[in-house]
Amino acid sequence: MVREEARSEVSRKKKKRKYFREGNRYATILMYVIAVLIIFVTIYPMYYVLILSLSEPTAAATMHVYVIPKGFSLQAYNILIKDMELWRAYRNTILYVSATTVLMLITCVLVAYPLTCKELVGRKYLNMFLLIPMYFGGGMIPTFLLILRLGLYDSPLSQIIPCCFSIWYIILVKSYFSSIPEELRDAAKIDGAGIWMVLFRIYIPMSKAILAVIAVYTIVSVWNSWYGAMLYLPHTEWQPLQLYLRRVLVEMTRTVSQMSVEQAKEQAMRALSNAQMKYAMIIFTTLPVLCVYPFLQKYFVKGVMLGSLKE
Amino acid sequence: MKKRTEKKEKKEKKKLTKNLIRTNISLYLMMAPVLILIIIFCYVPMYGIVIAFQDYFPGNPFIGEGVKWVGLKYFKRFVQSEYFFRLLRNSIVLSLYNLIFGFTAPIAFAILMDQIKALKFKKLVQTASYMPYFISTVVVAGMVISFVDKDGLISNALSVLGLPNQNWRIIPQAFPVIYTVTNVWKGFGFGSILYFSTISSIDQGLYESAKIDGANRWQQVTNITLPGLKRIIMIQLIMAVGSVLSSNTELILLLYNANIYEVSDVIGTYSYRLGIVGGQYSYTAAAGLFMSVIAFTLTFIANKVSNRVTGYGLW
Repeated sequence: MVREEARSEVSRKKKKRKYFREGNRYATILMYVIAVLIIFVTIYPMYYVLILSLSEPTAAATMHVYVIPKGFSLQAYNILIKDMELWRAYRNTILYVSATTVLMLITCVLVAYPLTCKELVGRKYLNMFLLIPMYFGGGMIPTFLLILRLGLYDSPLSQIIPCCFSIWYIILVKSYFSSIPEELRDAAKIDGAGIWMVLFRIYIPMSKAILAVIAVYTIVSVWNSWYGAMLYLPHTEWQPLQLYLRRVLVEMTRTVSQMSVEQAKEQAMRALSNAQMKYAMIIFTTLPVLCVYPFLQKYFVKGVMLGSLKE
Repeated sequence: MKKRTEKKEKKEKKKLTKNLIRTNISLYLMMAPVLILIIIFCYVPMYGIVIAFQDYFPGNPFIGEGVKWVGLKYFKRFVQSEYFFRLLRNSIVLSLYNLIFGFTAPIAFAILMDQIKALKFKKLVQTASYMPYFISTVVVAGMVISFVDKDGLISNALSVLGLPNQNWRIIPQAFPVIYTVTNVWKGFGFGSILYFSTISSIDQGLYESAKIDGANRWQQVTNITLPGLKRIIMIQLIMAVGSVLSSNTELILLLYNANIYEVSDVIGTYSYRLGIVGGQYSYTAAAGLFMSVIAFTLTFIANKVSNRVTGYGLW
């Protein structure tokens, strides 16, 4: 018994030594302190917003809430979920995210596959055709005029069609496809499979990893985008969540009081908790992303690695 | 006998070319929808730049007859206006701050993380550091605006240090700091992923032998880790120089206000206000094009210098 304890003591010491790489112990401690500070700095702002949104409205209005919620109230969230405009914005965002992501995967695959076929005539020119837009672009004004001319202005399609393809992702998928042995394709052809069959039965199932990375990147970037919507969607009907947030958080033009039709007492309450509404709204719209991101993290890391290979 | 095989071969060849044509047609059909999208949304706007040399009004044609060519009129007007200098200065100042802090922070962070050997803790720090990248720019800007407002989180903290408790958002001098801190906060963790992976690909044997030679931790960093990162740092640096004139327009548009246009206006925000909102399409297209040309020249020079000095470059 005693011996065992002694042994575990020794192993614990060894473990401890592993944490602290040889060298100045104070420097090591300092590094851990900095690391803890970094965690604090990245997480605390979000945490602060969370505890303010959960505090009593009166406490939240003074903003002196730092460690744990003062009191507990879900009033802000109660008002929030009755806001039809928020739900409409949510619906629009989900629509844009799902449509863009599906189309993005389809467009990537449709161009990447032919580019890996040796039989394709003019491959060199096609590659050039893809590379040029990566270095040169028309800029904001000509693109805006194009959207006007195409009649996409003020239409939800303006949020989907111009961003449903990405040359960068096409190139990533292409290089992934070319790592798949050609013998597979040839064997399938001998068995009488056409190009669509080969693509759907062999290439796509084998490229799930890269397609997942692209899907995750697309979902997050569309979820967070607002600039295109600001340029092309002047009316609130089709505006996505982020634009709604911009009106509330940045321009502060929209106050929450337009929502339900209750009377004066509540009016005063609302004025008090207007700041709190903003915090509740931040939590309400960011939480979905923050909840899933630790699980998606590996895809992002993978994406960065894939991107750096091409540089 | 010979003739017959020749005929057969010819037939085979014909069949092969026929097959080839057929496959090519189906391959091109497969690509066609996307190629059309690329032509419309990438190449047409490129041609659309010609409106910078015209007097363009919506509804006017910009090809063929009826186009009013004005040459470099709008370029001259832009360069001679007071805005040109202001935009150039703001972009450069903001980018310099970003280069000093935003560019080095991910590198320093990656090196620091490499020193920490407690794996679970390291993972936790990394996960936390990526988090801001996933929060949308609008939400980040909204939080910043509320924090630097009077009685906000940051204003309160600053008042403890003896600075006035005020709305920092309308103070011109504060803008570059707010912009830089926000940018660094949002991007340092994600930016460091690239450096993590590069560091982890450095041969561990180098560290072992350095230790045997008695190199301390600091010497290991300066003699092994940093040289290992040199190539990737140079490439990132050239790209950063190329984007000196394209500041984070989205973030500035959210953070700035009429009080601080003087220090926060950059080409992107200026074209938005004058072009999209104000309808001066030709003028802003000219301004944008002019800035892009400067940026391209800068990238070119940076690449050349880097090639000469370090032997690395983009091309």
